Amino acid sequence: MNETRKWILHRISAVILAPLYLWLYFSFISLSTKNYSDAIYFFEKPFFEKLTIMLFFVGFFHAKISLNEIFEDYVHNKKIKDFANISTLILSIIIPLIILILLIYKI
Amino acid sequence: MSDSKNPLSPHLQIYRWHISSLLSITHRISGVINLFGLILIFFWLLLLSLGESNYELFLLITNSFFGKFILIGFTWSMSFHILSGIRHLAWDLGYGFEIKTANTSGIIVIISSLILTVIFWLFARGLI
Repeated sequence: MNETRKWILHRISAVILAPLYLWLYFSFISLSTKNYSDAIYFFEKPFFEKLTIMLFFVGFFHAKISLNEIFEDYVHNKKIKDFANISTLILSIIIPLIILILLIYKI
Repeated sequence: MSDSKNPLSPHLQIYRWHISSLLSITHRISGVINLFGLILIFFWLLLLSLGESNYELFLLITNSFFGKFILIGFTWSMSFHILSGIRHLAWDLGYGFEIKTANTSGIIVIISSLILTVIFWLFARGLI
């Protein structure tokens, strides 16, 4: 991915992410005052389920680009930097995939 | 490798503190904290899928004093990063570069992130 495209996608993901994260974090705090069945009921709504999956994919995409930038600025050792970048890439794929599977098959 | 010749940022301690530099580094730090917030939500969903007894433990932790302290911290971090992000987007569109405007918008971001945290928390917890 070239740097200009990365820069643009980073901004686009930020705009998508801001309302989604506000919404899910708000729901999370609200549901922390309620019980198990309320939380399950929340994720049974197909629209909420889709928004949550989208939040995880866009969120980890945004985080991956940001972390690459931070590692580039502050990590001096190339081996450590490469390792950090690869770990970030793997996590940013695995965690959203787990969420996708959980929400579609389990909850 | 050509990229090994890229210059690295000087250490943060070298600079004299300004609102602009304070907000810049706080934007990065709050972004990383938000990533941990998202990972917490990931574990929340994971526990939810493991059944009711595991979830009860989670509720117990989130409603403890320590749990609330952490969650309020995440609320502030989210508020700050979003508001500061809007400031960055304005710059990207070419607005607000004058030193005076940038300092004012910086102060507005700090104050409104605190206000948003309080309002968000009170509404989300059903206190108002």
